[in-house]
Amino acid sequence: MIRSVESTGHHDGGQQSQSPDVAGGNGHADAAPQVVRVRILRQDAPGEESYWERFEIPYVANMNVISILQQVAAQAKSRDGRRVAPVAWDCNCLEEVCGSCTMLINGRTRMACSALVDRLLVESADEIELRPMSKFPVVRDLVVDRGRLFHSLERVKAWVPVDGSYDHGPGPRIAPENQEDAYPLATCISCGCCLEACPQFTKIEAVRREDESADEFEARRNAAFDKGFVGAHAISQAMLFNGHPTGKMIADERLTALTSQGGIQMCGNAQNCVAVCPKSIPLTRSIARAGRAATVWAIRKIFDR
Amino acid sequence: MAQPRVLVIGGGLAGLSATMRLAELGINVDLVSLVPVKRSHSVCAQGGINSVNSLTRQQGDSEWKHFDDTVYGGDFLQHQPPVKEMADWGPRIVDLMDRLGVPFNRTPEGFRDQRRFGGTLFKRTAFAGATTGQQLLYSLDEQVRRWEVEGKVKKWEFWDFLEPVLDDAGRCRGAICQDLVTMQFRAFPADAVILATGGCGLLYGRSTMSMVCTGSAVSRAYRAGAWYGNGEFIQVHPTAIPGADKLRLMSESARGEGGRVWVPKTPHDPRDPRDIPESERSYFLEERYPKYGNLVPRDIATREIFDICTNEGLSVEKDRLCVYLDLTHVPRETLDRKLGGILEIYEKFQGVDPRVVPMKIFPAVHYSMGGLWVDYEKSSSGGLVEGSPRNQQTNIPGLYAIGECDYQYHGANRLGANSLLSCIFSGLFCAPGVIAGCDAGGKKAAEESSRLFESGLRREEERHRALLVRTAGDENPYDLHQQLGNLMTRVATVVRRNEQLVAAYAEVCSLEERWRRCAVSDSGNWTNQNVVFTKSLGDMFPLAKLILKGALQRDECRGAHYKPDFAMPGIHSTDPAEKRREAEAWCDRFEASTRRWLKSTVAKCGPEGEPEISYQDIDTSLMPPRPRLYGLVGGEEIEEVWKERQRAAGVGGDAQKGSPAYAGATS
Amino acid sequence: MTANDPSQSFFARHQFLIYRLFSLAGLMPVGAFLVVHLLTNASVLAGPGVFQSRVDMIHSLGPLLVPIEWAFIFLPMLFHAVVGFVIIANGMPNVGSYAYVGNVRYTLQRATGMIAFVFIIWHITQLHWLGTPFGGGRFDPHHATSSAAVVLRPLLITILYAVGILSTVFHFSNGLWTLGITWGLWTSPAAMRRANLISIMLGVLLGGAGLGALGGMRRVDVEQARAIENRMDDVKRMLEGGEAPLQGDPSHGRSPAVHTSEPASIPVVPTSGSAARTPSGG
Repeated sequence: MIRSVESTGHHDGGQQSQSPDVAGGNGHADAAPQVVRVRILRQDAPGEESYWERFEIPYVANMNVISILQQVAAQAKSRDGRRVAPVAWDCNCLEEVCGSCTMLINGRTRMACSALVDRLLVESADEIELRPMSKFPVVRDLVVDRGRLFHSLERVKAWVPVDGSYDHGPGPRIAPENQEDAYPLATCISCGCCLEACPQFTKIEAVRREDESADEFEARRNAAFDKGFVGAHAISQAMLFNGHPTGKMIADERLTALTSQGGIQMCGNAQNCVAVCPKSIPLTRSIARAGRAATVWAIRKIFDR
Repeated sequence: MAQPRVLVIGGGLAGLSATMRLAELGINVDLVSLVPVKRSHSVCAQGGINSVNSLTRQQGDSEWKHFDDTVYGGDFLQHQPPVKEMADWGPRIVDLMDRLGVPFNRTPEGFRDQRRFGGTLFKRTAFAGATTGQQLLYSLDEQVRRWEVEGKVKKWEFWDFLEPVLDDAGRCRGAICQDLVTMQFRAFPADAVILATGGCGLLYGRSTMSMVCTGSAVSRAYRAGAWYGNGEFIQVHPTAIPGADKLRLMSESARGEGGRVWVPKTPHDPRDPRDIPESERSYFLEERYPKYGNLVPRDIATREIFDICTNEGLSVEKDRLCVYLDLTHVPRETLDRKLGGILEIYEKFQGVDPRVVPMKIFPAVHYSMGGLWVDYEKSSSGGLVEGSPRNQQTNIPGLYAIGECDYQYHGANRLGANSLLSCIFSGLFCAPGVIAGCDAGGKKAAEESSRLFESGLRREEERHRALLVRTAGDENPYDLHQQLGNLMTRVATVVRRNEQLVAAYAEVCSLEERWRRCAVSDSGNWTNQNVVFTKSLGDMFPLAKLILKGALQRDECRGAHYKPDFAMPGIHSTDPAEKRREAEAWCDRFEASTRRWLKSTVAKCGPEGEPEISYQDIDTSLMPPRPRLYGLVGGEEIEEVWKERQRAAGVGGDAQKGSPAYAGATS
Repeated sequence: MTANDPSQSFFARHQFLIYRLFSLAGLMPVGAFLVVHLLTNASVLAGPGVFQSRVDMIHSLGPLLVPIEWAFIFLPMLFHAVVGFVIIANGMPNVGSYAYVGNVRYTLQRATGMIAFVFIIWHITQLHWLGTPFGGGRFDPHHATSSAAVVLRPLLITILYAVGILSTVFHFSNGLWTLGITWGLWTSPAAMRRANLISIMLGVLLGGAGLGALGGMRRVDVEQARAIENRMDDVKRMLEGGEAPLQGDPSHGRSPAVHTSEPASIPVVPTSGSAARTPSGG
């Protein structure tokens, strides 16, 4: 039943929980710090020297690294009181589903949005350290260029090769077990954590030359990417689509990609990918399955020649 | 050289589906997005996508009923032909997404599983875990990547749309955009420009929306002359997780899978919620709305939660407003299978397992029903003419708007799981019309003289440069944004009052004035997020003004727009004759209100950036408006009177058909 | 980083095949040889005579031994090593930041691979006749136990051998586990855990065999062993000289003397090493 609702001063506070110090209710550690100190590895542009800058911001219960960076941008002042340009960083959804805000937090790759300050302070009480990902070229500060990650999806043809968008009725029937097997792989947010932590995945940085057009540069860069390791995320996507009734119609093309230079063989089985994946995707299972498929496929190729 | 080229701004569900269809139809597409398209806000959609399906059909459902639920849920503020067309397309869209590989949950026999969502009595919602938006977006992202490899699509990620380029005849011939890495400007000649830039939640500071949802692209189009429709209709989602940086969505699917909303009957009961016996709990939605229960439309659920906390003082916590959303009675295995994604979000950000302990939630700004005004061409059957260049076209020829940034599908309140449908539908459906429109433009944009684009380029470069050199000011854009957000949240969300709206309008004007004195703290010209944010903050003010003014002028209650001063309470009399009289009076008032206010609000940007508001009639030719009576006290009596009047007027058939009481439905 | 030259090199074009052959080589024949080698050596625990007879068995291949050694041991090992170094050069261990068990094993796999490589080169130089020009080649197949025992006796050498053997065994058994993932033998986390148990057990077994052989060598009474070997050698020479064999198969020839000598070596087994050190073979 709809009755008249009195709008009160509470409205503001309630609607947004304006007083975040009472939000959640579990952030009231006895020794809650007054301030949070952060040290951020900055870099003004590609090719320039990186440098550390320190910031100090008021502690608020339940804050995450995103709210630290928002505060850093708002105050635009370093710890020693100098006016500095706000730190650049990538973010979007703030609920760990868009994959934007990957960075090295206290030395480990993770999402800034789900990195809660209270827990980070347990790791390192005096200062939180933020660095850009090390396996991708730095654009500025904490922003990196993860174009290679998406290029890998092209390499393994991570799509279902449908005829088109005209109506052809429903898709194939799929057993619930198969859906439950595929769904976790489909939740990959392309954050790049698996690549950052992979000792076999090494940085490829191409710099555009003066005499090069944008297209030429892109072609040269992609050629360099093509030689590098595709990475766990792409292997897993290849397995996702090779497991789909329609997707598997180009399974051979994906296996060709996975067994060409920089393919599945580059995996060194360190299994960091699965350990750091924020979405707990069974990446090593995908890698092993890809290994099995490649084995069978390679043998078949030899004998079916 | 006669190859048309289309520019799509925004790579969420709408932008990607339009891009895919255009590429398929042979058109070259430039796709501009603030973020890599796979990171668009559509990933945040959780619950599912609505369409009639073989199961519900056998329970009495039909496209017509989906249409009816949508317009009834939206309080009849939509033009009906586009909604009808969308409902008709529902089944084939879900089929298409299924074919694209979306891992929809399955029944034991391998069919798509369905769940029930708000505002309907049918299990009409297909879903992929609790990350349906993500899965739909990814499958479209994959298809567009495929077209990119084919060379039909060129993506421009980390690019910002600045303004449309209009020729002397007022036709859109492209756009000016900026590279957010190098800060370089570029003119994109295009035979059609499609805006698919989503909502404007950041006007409210914190909302369930992503950080790119500033509304700046729409605001820029609005300032260039595009009309904005139904701005005052902002959906506040009933269930979100409060947070310092964001209010994270807790999907309606939590209630669709059996989640129950309750508060302890004792204010701020300090006990562990699990120790509070049933008899001391108030399941207020179920008590007040026995038919729909926890799945009443969002505007109603939001108001009730708000009401129980503010007016009845039954908030769970003393110094923070929230209610319990309880899933602890649902088997863990079911929860993990159907809601895993959202429960993990709660657990990750709150540190509490919602499978064991009831969640604490509160409403949050979630969706803009309003958006750019767009046209359509009605077909003889009451739907749309496919391939008409008028479909989804703004009042600026050649400029289109689709997805959340158009105003067309959800009226005064959007039903859950209809947004994914409207986004994909508008994207897919508009493509042939856009192509037809390209030919209507005469010579191709690429052949236009470069002078046309140069003035726009210069204007934007100058605007940018002026911001960079503005160092003397003392205002901080981030503080201003917070103030704007707090203000808008206070006056233009759940409950609206004229005196507050008047004051807020003046305050927004003064905030805008202060914005002009904003200093950017980064004067560099490389990946300068500071200046980009400052620019988009400036673009929020025109939208904030049109929302406030639209809300101020609309003296009624409709969907998400609720003014207690103009509310129509139920009838409380027990005496039959008196009851009858009250019902008659109620219906009189309803009819008067419908005559006066069942109109689209259309805002045009005045010379000083002030909204000039006018009202347009709405095509309700398919389904006559009727009182929205979900659980209203005395609703049966009112419905009875209303039906009699309809029969007398000779439109009873449709109204009967559209009655929300479906015999065959089960829940 | 994998291919620094812009054109598609042979290595780049056949990367998958080469890496798979590399993986296979680690198991067959190199790994298999390792198993045989360690178990053969461990036979020294049963006495110098037993070990000598095992060695004799291998050397009965005569002139075939050289091509077999190259084809099934040295060349595959060299191939495994060369590709292994390429792999190591292209990786960037980060166990400091990510100290997960898998990552520690990844790093150890590379470290032990390098140790094993150096160790094996050294081991071959020291004992195999190929090392003769470099002052090595000190293994005498006719005096298998005694010649090896003499070489291994110094404590430092023993320690270095222990490190080398354990590295090689870890590299093999851990490599076996990763091989199973690479080839897709075990794919699910549960299967990987089970395979891991097996590979650990294999590693413990082989490590025990290797260290046992080493300990056995240290415990050997060199003079006694030499005496046994000499007697066995005499028998062999006698057989080669056309004398009627004492037993049916010359390669299995065991003179009664061998049997009598065995009790001499057995009592030292329980006392670890120190007892055997007294009659220094110098």
